[in-house]
Amino acid sequence: MRKRRLSALISALCLTATAVTACGGGSTAQGTTAATTAAASGETKAQETEGAKEETTAQAETAGGSVRILLNVTGGKDEEEMKLFVEALEAATGLEIEVEKPASDYSKVMMQKLSGGEKYDLIYLNASEYANLIDQEALMDITDYVKNSQILSQNVEQSEWDDITIDGKIYAGFNKKEVHRVVALNNAMLKAAGIDYQSIDPTLDGYYEVFSKLKETNTETDFYPFEVIMKDAWDLQPWMASVGVKTGVVLDDSGKKYAPVSTEAAAPVWEWFKKLYDEGLMDPGSFVDATSDMRSKMGAASKKSGCCVDWAAWVGLHNSNALAEGVSEDDYQVVSLPGCKTPDGNYMLGKGGASLFAVPANAENVEGAVKVLEYFATQEGGELLSIGVEGHDYTKEGDTYTQTEIGKTHGNDHGAPVPIYKDFKAPFGYNPGMEDALQFGQYASIEMTIPNEADYKEIVGKWGIQMIKGEASIEDGLAGMRKELMERGVTEVE
Amino acid sequence: MSKKRGDTFRKIKRYRGIYLMLAPIAAYFLVFSYYPLVLGIVNSFHKVKLLGGSQFVGLSNYQEVAGSRLYQQALRNSLFVGIGTFLLQFVWGLCIAVFLNEVKRKTFKSLIQTVTYIPYLLSWTVVGGLWITIFSPTGMVNGILNQLGVQGSTVFMAEPAFARTIMIFTGAWKGAGYFAALFLAAIVSLDYSLYESARIDGASRWQQIIKITLPQIVPTMKIVTVLSAMGVLRNFDQIFVMGNPSINDKVQNLLVLIYNDGILKFNVGTATAAATLVLIVTMIISFVVRKLLRYDEAYDGR
Repeated sequence: MRKRRLSALISALCLTATAVTACGGGSTAQGTTAATTAAASGETKAQETEGAKEETTAQAETAGGSVRILLNVTGGKDEEEMKLFVEALEAATGLEIEVEKPASDYSKVMMQKLSGGEKYDLIYLNASEYANLIDQEALMDITDYVKNSQILSQNVEQSEWDDITIDGKIYAGFNKKEVHRVVALNNAMLKAAGIDYQSIDPTLDGYYEVFSKLKETNTETDFYPFEVIMKDAWDLQPWMASVGVKTGVVLDDSGKKYAPVSTEAAAPVWEWFKKLYDEGLMDPGSFVDATSDMRSKMGAASKKSGCCVDWAAWVGLHNSNALAEGVSEDDYQVVSLPGCKTPDGNYMLGKGGASLFAVPANAENVEGAVKVLEYFATQEGGELLSIGVEGHDYTKEGDTYTQTEIGKTHGNDHGAPVPIYKDFKAPFGYNPGMEDALQFGQYASIEMTIPNEADYKEIVGKWGIQMIKGEASIEDGLAGMRKELMERGVTEVE
Repeated sequence: MSKKRGDTFRKIKRYRGIYLMLAPIAAYFLVFSYYPLVLGIVNSFHKVKLLGGSQFVGLSNYQEVAGSRLYQQALRNSLFVGIGTFLLQFVWGLCIAVFLNEVKRKTFKSLIQTVTYIPYLLSWTVVGGLWITIFSPTGMVNGILNQLGVQGSTVFMAEPAFARTIMIFTGAWKGAGYFAALFLAAIVSLDYSLYESARIDGASRWQQIIKITLPQIVPTMKIVTVLSAMGVLRNFDQIFVMGNPSINDKVQNLLVLIYNDGILKFNVGTATAAATLVLIVTMIISFVVRKLLRYDEAYDGR
């Protein structure tokens, strides 16, 4: 009897262990196990790499050997093209390149690989992961390498480096130049409603008028003039600009973190969102949709939405896709605007958090890794990351580039639609409408990189939805938002 | 004592072939289950950094989890949705099994059994996506409501009031076919002569179900209950796929929170402490359920 009870308890233990280790097809416990293994050897690795850091005077030009890269969005579209991509990168850098691209769940795989002690010379990551991994002491400080590299210091805007400098140190180079988000509008719908998009009053009232007219013109029940991804609070900046409020977390005068969208100053914008929802001008799907749903509704194939905020590149992609489907500009054309004017007559747009290649603390070929980063910051490297592999995605005779049929299907994107090289010239130009959208980049800035960005999005999204639906008054909603942001360590002051 | 030990050695020697065959399985569990489990528990007492070493912090990770409003809420959500799903799935599966047993045409019976079992085979990515579409503002539920004269559309997946009900319903929908298969297997193996005697005594079909079928499959019900009790806190995929910030307060559960902490935020110490607590709570639930069902006594009696 006792034995059976004991065996029952052990069974329960095993089952739960399986549950916990198998959550999401991934492994919390396995990951943490690996973390322990790695942690045990971490100090030794850190000491080893410390020695390497002291030798940063050795320039990347002398780099050789092999470079192992863990990447996500960069490279060939399939296995065959990835092989060509690697060959092109090897030929350009003189290095032996080994790439690994997880099929899915990149962040989880990266974390497990690193915690398991696997050694890479470069790993792809986004801004939030960058902050987290620095906090975890998992990245190498390459500030001296960057400063000593003419290519990296001269080919990349200083402002880009400033964006990824944390406590005076740089731990990564760039995969691509992050562009900004703009207000994208369906111009064919605007024309049908008798609106010239260039004369839209850049105020909340001005856009309200536009949305009202769009709804009057298009009476389909599932058409909504405006959609926003409210569950992730993405992207509210063009509208928050009307009251001069910056999205994300910022520092106050005393250096403490706070979220301006949760302050009383942002109340008029939340009131405006509520008004749009109450009057049927905002798609109710805004509360649950992902960006892919929003893009689908904005696309020529469905035309269920008249306006959204999206990447500048997507303005061009919508138009390019429509033309590829044989839809004329008269029937469908997406145009861009910088949103509402700030009280001081400017604009405020959101710029994407960095898309980076960082050097892990246990990297074995730092010089080689820096050489790859240097190549990505040149015209040639930018071409590889955007238009793809010569002879496969395009052919070149003298200065004339000709896109192959395969290249045309790849949308000038092999990881970097807009490469980081500051003087990059796109051989095939940009998709229709994208260049206009890119001009608004002068108004764009990034949000502060914080490790708990996911919490910020969840909390702002949750309270935002409650305020818009009227489940919480604007005053109570903002108070609740501030309280929860502080409780969960996203902000330091209410 | 030494005689007993000697017996054990003799048995091992005699059955060494079988023990040798078991060795790879034992090694598999030691390496892939128990070793990670033990290291996970060790981690829960440390502040772990990915590549920068770890530091022993005693019980502070446990204190952090115990004092966290999010974890407390997640425990409530896990229990509510877990128990709710189990109860509905149990009744639903039982009904399917009992009614399927009444169906005489074999083809029709197989067809219904297959249709009800298929959702269990699909991943939550598919099932979750399906139900999100059905509950969307332009989905089937709103379409039916509009046909019935209800104006406007409801964003069900953003309504905290419906959140738990939706999770319980969709969870039970997915698993009812599986429970039905277990119950049906028990029903078809029952002694047919019992029904014959009941019919001779004038029992109606309904009385036969209530008085014979259900009591006879109680052991199967107990097994299903005990196994399900161990899995009450195991739900991850459903909430991961179907949850969103507007309903997370009502549905976000322990495993999702552990995933967020451990994988997305790299707070490995806190995540492993929470995982260890899940383990302990599961053991407690399992123990209580077995006691309540008198599972061990029933097992001993056989």
